[in-house]
Amino acid sequence: MAGNMLKGAPFGDAPSIPSRAESQYNPLHTFELPKGTEKNYAHQFADMYFLRLAQLKKAVKQKAHDAWDDFELGGEKTTFVERVLDVRQGELCWIVGTVYMEMALKPNVLDDISKEHWIAAPPPRETYVSGGQDEMMLEDESGRLRVTGESLSSTYVTGCVLAALGTEQADGTFQVIATQYADLPRQPERWERDDAALTQAKKPKPTRGKAGKIAIVSGLEITGTDDDELSLDLLLEYLAGEATGPPTQTLTSSISRLIIAGDSLSHASPILSREDFAEKKSKKHAYGYDASSYNASPAERLDEFLSDLLPTLPITLLPGANDPANVALPQQPLHPALFPKSRLYAEPPAKTNETIHGLDAVTNPWDGDIEGYRVLGTGGQTVADLLKYVDDVDALEVMEMMLRWRCIAPTAPDTLWCYPFQDEDPLLLKDCPHVYFAGCQEKFGKKVIEGPAGQSVLLVSVPRFRETGQVVLLDLETSEVEVVEIGVVQPGS
Amino acid sequence: MAETEYKDYLAARILTENQPVTYKLLSRALQVNVSAAKWMLFDFHQKQNTKKPNSIHATYLIFGTKRTVSKTNGTNGRSGEDVSMRSSPFMSSVPEPEEEEEEPVKKSTILLVREEELAKTRAEFSEEASIHIYSLEPGPLENLNILASCNREVNSKFADTDPLERWRVYGSIQNPYIKRRTAKYAPPPTAAASAKSAAKPAVKPTAKPPVAAQLRKEASTSSRRGSASEDNTSGQSTPQPAAAPSILKRSDSTKSVSTKNKTAGDIFKSFAKAKAKPKDAAKSNEPTPAPVDDEPMQGMSEDEGDDDEPGVQVDTEKIEAAKKARDERAEKLRKMMEDDDMPDAPAAEEKPSQPEKAETPKEDEPKPTVTVQNGRRRGKRRVMKKKTVKDEEGYLVTKEEAVWESFSEEEPEPKRAKPAPKPAAAAKGKPTGKKGQGSIASFFKKA
Repeated sequence: MAGNMLKGAPFGDAPSIPSRAESQYNPLHTFELPKGTEKNYAHQFADMYFLRLAQLKKAVKQKAHDAWDDFELGGEKTTFVERVLDVRQGELCWIVGTVYMEMALKPNVLDDISKEHWIAAPPPRETYVSGGQDEMMLEDESGRLRVTGESLSSTYVTGCVLAALGTEQADGTFQVIATQYADLPRQPERWERDDAALTQAKKPKPTRGKAGKIAIVSGLEITGTDDDELSLDLLLEYLAGEATGPPTQTLTSSISRLIIAGDSLSHASPILSREDFAEKKSKKHAYGYDASSYNASPAERLDEFLSDLLPTLPITLLPGANDPANVALPQQPLHPALFPKSRLYAEPPAKTNETIHGLDAVTNPWDGDIEGYRVLGTGGQTVADLLKYVDDVDALEVMEMMLRWRCIAPTAPDTLWCYPFQDEDPLLLKDCPHVYFAGCQEKFGKKVIEGPAGQSVLLVSVPRFRETGQVVLLDLETSEVEVVEIGVVQPGS
Repeated sequence: MAETEYKDYLAARILTENQPVTYKLLSRALQVNVSAAKWMLFDFHQKQNTKKPNSIHATYLIFGTKRTVSKTNGTNGRSGEDVSMRSSPFMSSVPEPEEEEEEPVKKSTILLVREEELAKTRAEFSEEASIHIYSLEPGPLENLNILASCNREVNSKFADTDPLERWRVYGSIQNPYIKRRTAKYAPPPTAAASAKSAAKPAVKPTAKPPVAAQLRKEASTSSRRGSASEDNTSGQSTPQPAAAPSILKRSDSTKSVSTKNKTAGDIFKSFAKAKAKPKDAAKSNEPTPAPVDDEPMQGMSEDEGDDDEPGVQVDTEKIEAAKKARDERAEKLRKMMEDDDMPDAPAAEEKPSQPEKAETPKEDEPKPTVTVQNGRRRGKRRVMKKKTVKDEEGYLVTKEEAVWESFSEEEPEPKRAKPAPKPAAAAKGKPTGKKGQGSIASFFKKA
């Protein structure tokens, strides 16, 4: 067995491991916010809902027309009603609107204000669902309409745009019998963007080699303490191709990029979670910034990890919920000051905001072309928040729903912090990705979904490395997914 | 080459020092390929244990595929399949491709295991792609996390080698496309100073250098320094955005005795550094640009008396210089904060304008006048007063305004009279260094 390294002297020559292929990487900057003072938080969030409805209405209407134009119920033809408030009682019609869920357990800004006066804050919510009390409404510019119906149960959440077919009942609620959503948008061809750029520059298309694999890991949750060191070291040695024997090392060398999808550090969010806050508050009362409580070691450890890996593997780094980035979506790239060592592998930010070969600190969500394929990824907050709205649904299904609704963060700005976009909402899906991954999920999962126009999307939910030890390898050439689990057999087990 | 060397090293390290050795540490210490290091560990393990059974323990690293039935331990079940099996209750309008559900996801496992559990663990693998010794240690490890210390050692002792050339020696996977920016070195104050300071830190951190490590380290340090001093000799006029800090870092670190922390982001360091540096600048009396706050300093210098001493012996020139440098730094810092992207601040251009900038704030400050008569202090002082006015819309607006008011009060202690005659000097001197300008530094400093 070639991989058996259990042999003694005489030592031969060390086996040579092939070098890595070039990572064809062409990031987009869809989710970058304006810099400095151009960033304006004073806008109303209502604009976002307006934009969302305005941009998606056309697609949803088209779908609904296709589906329902020939639909008859008891000899009655369906009609489209432009405004939800214009629906007449008893008339079979369909409307387009944004879903709003009224849920008893959903966080409410008014509750947050009155919380000041509570003796004990409510426990953090695992879910917003409270059987029976939840109401669903459809709203557009004109107003809101309460909707009910079997076809709605636990499939839609606040913020998604849909068309609903039904009739208004005597009590004023709209009884829905069928729904339609926008479904997947157009999917770009492979290399479309790169080729377009080349054509524009009047350069011939290069002959491209075989695409490498990308490795996705999330939830490293580095604490800087000893207990997570070893698995992190093993991960590093595996990815750098030092651990394991020659056959495995050769396989490893086909990885051409690592994506870290959120939560590289643990407890590093600038805004403390409820638990962290309570813990800190109980300790002592200090005003302002407490320098003595700042612990640099997790960030240093991460920097070290990155800088050890970067000489051999380019990295795309997304921030996550626990990382020291802004908390509102889209999260902006982690600041280079966090990485005194590894930022040497990144282009100076003054020059460009992307690094092709090296450390590319990017936004969350992030999209870009890797090996010509459009890849969209998030740190997982959007999925986690959406999961709170629904029961018995797993991450992959949620991810599929998002793509089909063409909105990758439907619950923002309702229950997910979000930048108040004004004229353009990048969280709406313009192009259908080939790969959509979400980091920091409970467990690994993958699924291929297909769209009406032959689009095919690979969905991958990436588990937290800290909890599962798992790294996801993605072969873009074949759309094959692999999992590598790194673990330590504890003594005595 | 390392035919006997590795035996000596391993014997010294494991048998004498009772320390574990990982293959990575061995490869770095002897400068051999990781594969060779793995063989060496095995060889040593074999030979020692035939000589004296159980004198050395090993941990193994296995890569392979686990049996599917290995669900016995439950924890690493193949959860991947479950996900795609569940047909979604909604979205039923899109039929799911059937064949996709059967396709299992390939799952490999890397396991680190002690030799005690090795046989059992190997049995769980259906296919074993590779196996090697990960580490050797004098006795069975109770906590495998100890092995992480070896890697810390690797990082602390062998960090100076050029990372992009690592694959040549150690056999990690090469990536020819990765580029590394050169760290920004700047012309040091004097060549002599750089030479002097370069030597010292190189020796300092190595506690117990194994075999050739020490030598190598020094070599590599000086080679890195080499590029820096080239910059230096080419004259100060080079407007290279490469900057002073790395050299200053050295000279600083000779003073600040912080070996333990190669700490934090530079921002913090550059804050902390504020204390140590001005004296430097004053001493060398050179119009060199102040360091750009870009490169890591060796450590946050903790409270050292440095800055305080000149304050005691009233050496106005020194204080003045220190103050100037500090202002300069504050200005630069402010700029840095404004530019989101930490520019490589061409310090040279700013330099001439600095002195004036430094002076201006002082002149602007009105001086509170205090006279002491018959045990009573009289004078004018500035106080913040709250003022509430109604604005044009009828809202009450509260403003804070600085107002001069004259006062007269009992002399609290006769001592307090002393600073009064020279308020301006006091403002320049040490106390303000702490409370005024410098306070931001103390703000970041560990309490």
